[in-house]
Amino acid sequence: MALGPDRYASRADTAVFVACLALSLVALALPAGLREPIAGALRRTVLAPLLAVQRSTVKAVAARERLSAVRAERDSLAIETTFLPEIRAENARLRDLLGLSGRLGHGFVTAEVLHQAGIADGLTLVLSAGRNAGVEPFSPVLAARGLLGVLQSVDARTSVALAWSHPDFRASAMVEGTAIYGIVRARRGEASGELMELIGVPFRQQLLPGMRVVTSGLGGVFPRGIPLGTVQGILDEEAGWERTYLLRPAVHPAEAAHVIVLSPARASDTLRTAFGLADSLALPRDSVPARPSRRPTAVREPGRP
Amino acid sequence: MRGPSSRVAFAVALALLTAAHFVLRPLLGDPRFAPDFLLVALLFFAIRVRPMAGTAAGFALGLVTDAVAPTAFGAAALALTVVGYLAGWLKSIVFADNLLVTALFVFTAAWGRDAIAVLAARQLVGGALAWQLLAFSPLAAVSTAAAATVTLVVFRRWLRHGVT
Repeated sequence: MALGPDRYASRADTAVFVACLALSLVALALPAGLREPIAGALRRTVLAPLLAVQRSTVKAVAARERLSAVRAERDSLAIETTFLPEIRAENARLRDLLGLSGRLGHGFVTAEVLHQAGIADGLTLVLSAGRNAGVEPFSPVLAARGLLGVLQSVDARTSVALAWSHPDFRASAMVEGTAIYGIVRARRGEASGELMELIGVPFRQQLLPGMRVVTSGLGGVFPRGIPLGTVQGILDEEAGWERTYLLRPAVHPAEAAHVIVLSPARASDTLRTAFGLADSLALPRDSVPARPSRRPTAVREPGRP
Repeated sequence: MRGPSSRVAFAVALALLTAAHFVLRPLLGDPRFAPDFLLVALLFFAIRVRPMAGTAAGFALGLVTDAVAPTAFGAAALALTVVGYLAGWLKSIVFADNLLVTALFVFTAAWGRDAIAVLAARQLVGGALAWQLLAFSPLAAVSTAAAATVTLVVFRRWLRHGVT
């Protein structure tokens, strides 16, 4: 490459360097409440056309490369859903016997992951769906095999998800088919950074390798039953108190390409609607806060065209 | 660049690199190891202008990069500011028209950028940090260096002159 004449840095160059360095450090020190509006403004302006181009490319690639895989998945699902109407009817009968109302449903929006360069990709992910598609902050993000993360911020056409591998991520979890609960977070430290750990398991409960860990539904962010990972072995134990287990995650963020963003429950998920209580029997209105009203959105629901 | 046509050619080359980052990069496999065309564009720009301009370009590009990872906001700005400044400062040391030196220069810049960003973000520790710095970042830096070399071969005439 041909280069210009030798020019060492002048005072002005050094001054600009120091100023930019200082601004970068200020940006690093900004509280979350201040940096998110700045980041959002950049995403909505400078980055918007570039992310739109990337979204088109990713969709085209997915359409071409994943067609056969999608066909295979569709065929498998078609077989699995053959007996679904019968199971639904049975479920409705049993709920009716128990006096329960219909199960709360979730709509969903599909999106592509727009992977970016740099070390943050895999900890936070840019998704191709935004407010216009009906997604909202704190919506769960799922890949085909399990939980990928939770939406952190939402713009009109894109959104940023906090992947489970991020140090700030936590999910209330339970071992499938048991009443063993804990908290799942990314494994930090000795492992490769691609594993999870299940903390807070009571000492008297012992888990075996291969057991599946799913979301517990506690906390209200993630619905119950989304796969998180499988137990690999015990990691740590505080004598007489609790054990920590190592999990192999169901999904790795860096490999995610196509995701599902769950929308809030289509019914207002209060105890009143869940149990079909009559108004006179229901709890006081302010004791079970309903979700705030949302703008109507065209959200597809599972099982409906 | 001494003439306007050369300046336009240089700008077009940078624009093509920017477009490649968003159009070509998603086609190149695992995003952890795919080349960073924006970094290549920044380095080609920075070694042809005063360190002041390289620094400002690095800072601006870093802020845009940070916008898609708000939990580490400022980390990429810090890293690319340093890379932009050093690239402008080191241009008197880098040999002209040498593909190997260019590849080594881009490799070092990409690895150094990742190292600064990952340390400033403070989101990885222990083994995860070691994996990132000693495995993922060098592999991504190799692919970025290869992309820079190919770019230089293809657009050699367009990139020949400086903009000042």
